[in-house]
Amino acid sequence: MALLEVADIHVFYDKIEALKGISLAVEEREIVTLVGGNGAGKSTTLRAISGLLHPRQGSIRFAGRSLAGLGAHEIAAGGVVHIPEGRRIFGRLTVNENLELGAFTRRDRRDVATDKEQMLVLFPRLRERLKQLAGTLSGGEQQMLAAARALMARPRVLLMDEPSMGLAPMLVEQVFETIGRINQQGVTILLVEQNAPMALGIANRGYVLESGRIVLDGPGRDLLDDERVRRAYLG
Amino acid sequence: MVGRNIARLNAVDVVLWGLRVGVVAVVVIGTVGTLIKGRYNAAQWFDFIMFGLTIGSIYAQIALGYTMVYGVLRLINFAHGDIVMTGAFAGYFVAMPLDRSGFLEDNPVLAMAAILLVAVIVSTSIAVLTERIAYRPFRRVVGLAPLICAIGVSFFLEQTFRGMFGSAVKSYPDPQWQRAAFHVFGFNVPRIDVLVIGLALIFMGLLYLIVQRTRMGTAMRAVAEDGEAAALMGIDVNKVVVFTFVLGGAMAGIAGVFYAFVYKQVYFLMGFTPGIKAFGAAVLGGIGNIPGAMLGGFFLGMVESVGPTLFLDGIGIPAPYQLRDLIAFTLLIMVLIFRPHGLLGEALAKKRA
Repeated sequence: MALLEVADIHVFYDKIEALKGISLAVEEREIVTLVGGNGAGKSTTLRAISGLLHPRQGSIRFAGRSLAGLGAHEIAAGGVVHIPEGRRIFGRLTVNENLELGAFTRRDRRDVATDKEQMLVLFPRLRERLKQLAGTLSGGEQQMLAAARALMARPRVLLMDEPSMGLAPMLVEQVFETIGRINQQGVTILLVEQNAPMALGIANRGYVLESGRIVLDGPGRDLLDDERVRRAYLG
Repeated sequence: MVGRNIARLNAVDVVLWGLRVGVVAVVVIGTVGTLIKGRYNAAQWFDFIMFGLTIGSIYAQIALGYTMVYGVLRLINFAHGDIVMTGAFAGYFVAMPLDRSGFLEDNPVLAMAAILLVAVIVSTSIAVLTERIAYRPFRRVVGLAPLICAIGVSFFLEQTFRGMFGSAVKSYPDPQWQRAAFHVFGFNVPRIDVLVIGLALIFMGLLYLIVQRTRMGTAMRAVAEDGEAAALMGIDVNKVVVFTFVLGGAMAGIAGVFYAFVYKQVYFLMGFTPGIKAFGAAVLGGIGNIPGAMLGGFFLGMVESVGPTLFLDGIGIPAPYQLRDLIAFTLLIMVLIFRPHGLLGEALAKKRA
């Protein structure tokens, strides 16, 4: 059984059906990516999984348990952590406070301290800026903080929405490197990306979305070579 | 160049500038006039300042409730002034028997602690109930409906208290020890002022520590900035909102008791005026900003207390003290014309981005 199972979900914004029956599965320790154009429903899928939106139909199961009816904070506490589009760090809080909030639901204070130390080793730039307001960080540093903050929760599944958005090409490479490293530490990743070549290159499997439906799925490499994908998304 | 700039000015700008210059002129001429006339001695000015600090510390405490709820929910809690009233009433029903039995006179510390405790319990409970019953269903409603709901809550509380306790003004106990004064360098420092200002500073300091240093306080600041992102961190936004109403309600209860002891009366509409003024103070300091609300409260209290005599006596207006509300609100409007986001406020557009 897959760690995260989405079965035939339909999500509506008012009367507009944004997801018209999405089904996907993410196995433990996999990197799975959702690619597709603007408005295809990638972000909506992540928001439905993390409980920010509620599907009108269909089911979402994590580790065998249904997530229906749970609030976003309960799903996060359960180990499914969502880094939303645009990073959404708390700019008026310090870097340290942002990291502490990542571990908000954890009671093991000593392990939290160890994890924070690890984050600061992984992202040394954050250590220099620990006492600074997060709003003063550069775009790349904010992305590091968003990732570190999410990891402070010790997630089993990380939902990442456009982590490379708005970053310089050199930083984009770093972001994907980091995603690989996080995955090697045992975190399962569901990644949404505009940058389809990079995302498919790193992913075990991928799904191609088009106006609220999955039109194609398969191993990342195969999708990268698929003629239709190349024409539609890779130019 | 000059001609073109003048042509670009429209009528509204001209009127606004006229208003600004006019008010500044009145303030300057009045102040100079008052000081030259020298009709008031140092002790009298000291009294004005002490009263300004006292009433300002009460406004500051009430303003904190407005600013925190606005920060977390983007809701102007119009009923917050009436929460102050509920605290004053609760305090009244403890203070009266204690006064009659002589306990309030003989054991001021214990008696005040009991009065404040009951007031805080009542005002906090009512604040939390209004959130749960009236505001939460409107949480995701955009537009004016939540504000109108808050106005409804305000009327509901006022009329409920009128129904239960009548519309007559009840007088608050006036123990001897409150009327006495300390004598410092020849000035009279009323004990009640020392008590109100001192306790207000302690409670506001505590609140600031809670918001800045504790887990719930940090969560509250996170929700104020981005509720959705906070929920993704595992923060229960509903719990944080309740926590916010608890803090605001507690401050309102304390402020209600102090306000009643200063003016020596309670009645069902007593929350309205300090409520509006404290809301003004919160806006003055930059709504959503906690130090701003404290600063705004003291500023408004000082202007209200010192302003009428200082600004108006010099230009020969008789009994200027009756115009204190006019002065307070005029100054409020002036500050907002010059600094639309308040004294410590940041641009709203920046906050939303």
